[in-house]
Amino acid sequence: MMATGIRDRVAIIGMGCTPFGEHWNKGPEDLMVEAFEEAVADAGIERLAIDAAWVGNALDDINVGNSALPLAHALRLRCIPVTRVENMCATGTEALRAATYAVAAGAVDIALALGVEKLKDTGYGGLPLKTKGLTNDLWMPYGSAPGTFAQLAGAYSARHALKAEDLKRAMAHVSWKSHQNGALNPKAHLRKPIAMDAILNAPLIADPLGLFDCCGVSDGAACAIVTTPDIARGLGKSDIVTVKAIQLSASNGWETQFSAWDGSYVRNTREAARRAYDEAGISDPRAELSLTEVHDCFSITELVTMEDLGLAADGRAPFDILDGAFDRDGTLPCQIDGGLKCFGHPVGASGLRMAYEIYSQLLDRGGERQRQDVRLGLTHNLGGAPFNSVAAVSILGRLN
Amino acid sequence: MTADRFIHSIGGYLPSLRLARKSAVSALKWSGLGGVREGYRAVAGWDEDPMTMAVEAARTMTRELEAESLIFASTSAYFTERAQSGLMVDALGLKRDTRSLDVAGSRRCATTALLQALDGTKPAIVAAADARATKPGSAHQLLFGDGAAAIGVGDNGGARYLGSHSTTHDFIDFYATRDHPTPYGYEERFIRETAVDAILLPTIQAACEAAGVAAAEIAYAAVAEPLTGIYPALARKLGLKASNLASDLFAQAGDLGAAHASFALGLAFAKAAPGDIVLLAGFGSGCDALLFEVTGTVLGAAQMAVALAQGSALTDYVRFLNLSGGLDLAWGMRAEFEQKAQATVIERHGRDIIGFVGGRDSTGNVQFPKSRIPVNPALSVPETLEDVRLAEEIGQVVSVTADRLNYTPDPPFYFGLVQFDNGARVMVEFTDCPASGLAVGDRVRMRLRIKSLDRRRGFRTYFWKAAPFERPTLEKQ
Repeated sequence: MMATGIRDRVAIIGMGCTPFGEHWNKGPEDLMVEAFEEAVADAGIERLAIDAAWVGNALDDINVGNSALPLAHALRLRCIPVTRVENMCATGTEALRAATYAVAAGAVDIALALGVEKLKDTGYGGLPLKTKGLTNDLWMPYGSAPGTFAQLAGAYSARHALKAEDLKRAMAHVSWKSHQNGALNPKAHLRKPIAMDAILNAPLIADPLGLFDCCGVSDGAACAIVTTPDIARGLGKSDIVTVKAIQLSASNGWETQFSAWDGSYVRNTREAARRAYDEAGISDPRAELSLTEVHDCFSITELVTMEDLGLAADGRAPFDILDGAFDRDGTLPCQIDGGLKCFGHPVGASGLRMAYEIYSQLLDRGGERQRQDVRLGLTHNLGGAPFNSVAAVSILGRLN
Repeated sequence: MTADRFIHSIGGYLPSLRLARKSAVSALKWSGLGGVREGYRAVAGWDEDPMTMAVEAARTMTRELEAESLIFASTSAYFTERAQSGLMVDALGLKRDTRSLDVAGSRRCATTALLQALDGTKPAIVAAADARATKPGSAHQLLFGDGAAAIGVGDNGGARYLGSHSTTHDFIDFYATRDHPTPYGYEERFIRETAVDAILLPTIQAACEAAGVAAAEIAYAAVAEPLTGIYPALARKLGLKASNLASDLFAQAGDLGAAHASFALGLAFAKAAPGDIVLLAGFGSGCDALLFEVTGTVLGAAQMAVALAQGSALTDYVRFLNLSGGLDLAWGMRAEFEQKAQATVIERHGRDIIGFVGGRDSTGNVQFPKSRIPVNPALSVPETLEDVRLAEEIGQVVSVTADRLNYTPDPPFYFGLVQFDNGARVMVEFTDCPASGLAVGDRVRMRLRIKSLDRRRGFRTYFWKAAPFERPTLEKQ
């Protein structure tokens, strides 16, 4: 029998998200509690009603440590099943997927997914470097995150015969647009619009990515409480947000070891999106989606993601971007909350932060940046590097 | 009478960067320090050491010569317990039953090792390399250069061994010790007179006698000079008319230590015609003098002359100090990254990694690294892959960036995806990149380099990196 998927089988009844930023005075415990308190109040449940919890943090060595215990301690959970998940930048969405699956499976009634990362205890800017495993370390290059994603740019230019300066301008528009959006979001880390010239002329971090082509690095936590639509109704919820799809795709070495990939796109985003659209029953994502929160760790990532998600035709993303299609007032806004660009990227929290924005927009809680008539929203995470990645795509919408 | 022995092939390697000596002298002008201001000094990249350079020098000859032994000669080898020659056997893809030996002690060790190979009966490779640490401001800093040379010996080849003579003489022109790893030198006048009259002259005379050759018959010389400029006096006293290729090498690359005379021998072979007599002399704690008669083409010699003329001028003295260990810059917390390797992992994968050995699956597709289940989507069950060496493959850049965030001792850090014609591809670091960078589609060749440095534990690992296919021509100074 074919799997039927989880569309509309799980409802999100409460979400929380801390302001993201350089929280010099807050530790992971503070961030977890703050996100959870907002979510549990939003859900309107007794905190003891939570049957199981998943915590996502990607960099345990600079965070709270390994395993379930940090979350169980922080929230003083009462001997329930708690699990830590880690899947690079897809970690937050991975926590939501686990909680959602537990509810969809009927194993639990109410589950918690919480993502947290405390990056600003590294002592320096950018993401910390991690070993790739003792065998891989003997040969794999240790590039920085901007170094890995920057490589999309040259390959994209080569594939589409696009001049480097034209691509750079489209990339700059991606960042310009997100800074415009972030300025309206009280929870964003970076809240200043940035001029195009400043973006174009910023110092290079990894050619051709300049400083403003890169997302910030911050601390933050976000969480979701999920249950069945029936229980949600029983709790008196009338405006119910459900999970339409959550899909993942992971590299198996094909990109870097088999000579088929040209380096200009991300295969896993395409795979995860295709399956997510199937699961959600979406046939024309450009027309059916209301907004997207994608993994804009770097401007070039967002640019190729527009094509990988089927939201721009092959080779057309730079032109659609420059035409404003993904601006706040465009046909399909992307990063209406400011994105990773303005929130920074506390790795384990980002996926749930994206879900928080879609959830808020679906419930008309978007404040100054509320988009009219939001029906379906998509979140996208891309962990690792374009050539060795885990992509997650989730779709949230109203239950009707 | 034993069979004639020959130089079968020869190879040389110089790092891409060449410090224009006048830049260093000009940076040091205020101090009155510096020394020789003409020409260049070859400078090892941060990821090069004597072993990697020796592999580069020897790699071309392993296709033609089935060496049964390999000797590595150097006074600046990194490992004092773990044979560089052992690493080279794996890096060059030689059989595990190759006999290997590291020699050191003085810069003469390479010519003495060559004599050992010539005195033997089996095909052998002697690879010499040095990248000697020097103190900033010392004369040695600009006299020395980094580089390597390898000589393949066998029962046939382009140069017949005629005879030799060796002397041992505990002569201290300079010394280096564990307690004083950089050279400590003595007065030039003392060196000049003693080296010529007491060591070089009698040794070369005795070698000529042993070979049945008159000094005046020698067409080319490759004589390591303890001090630049002493060769003319030596030649006059010997009645030698030949030019010394070691002097040309010094001008363009510096004194290569253990590799110097051997590299110069290659330059001599590149110029020589059949019938020419060539003199090789290694110096240090005595002298080895050897004579050869050119009988044909010595494989690899022509490429050495080309290599000498190629490179990129380095005019930034601070960058040179950083590369050569003369400065310890504060690179920040990113440089604290732990790169600890484990012997057990190296035991399992080391030979394939340093030999750059991938695997061919049952459909013919080549991949790196090997895996139990091939990466080829057409296959899905475990199978045994056939070894394929990728080190000699020419590649093409699929993607690349100059990463300015990632720590590297010589920024920026270039890395990306390289595609080989045989189907394999690999994410690699790039090295020897020009300031203009690399682009998608550029052709690259693979070079053995240091992959990681574990300064805390005094260890390093090696892997192959992609370098631009062609090197620029060095402007003559």
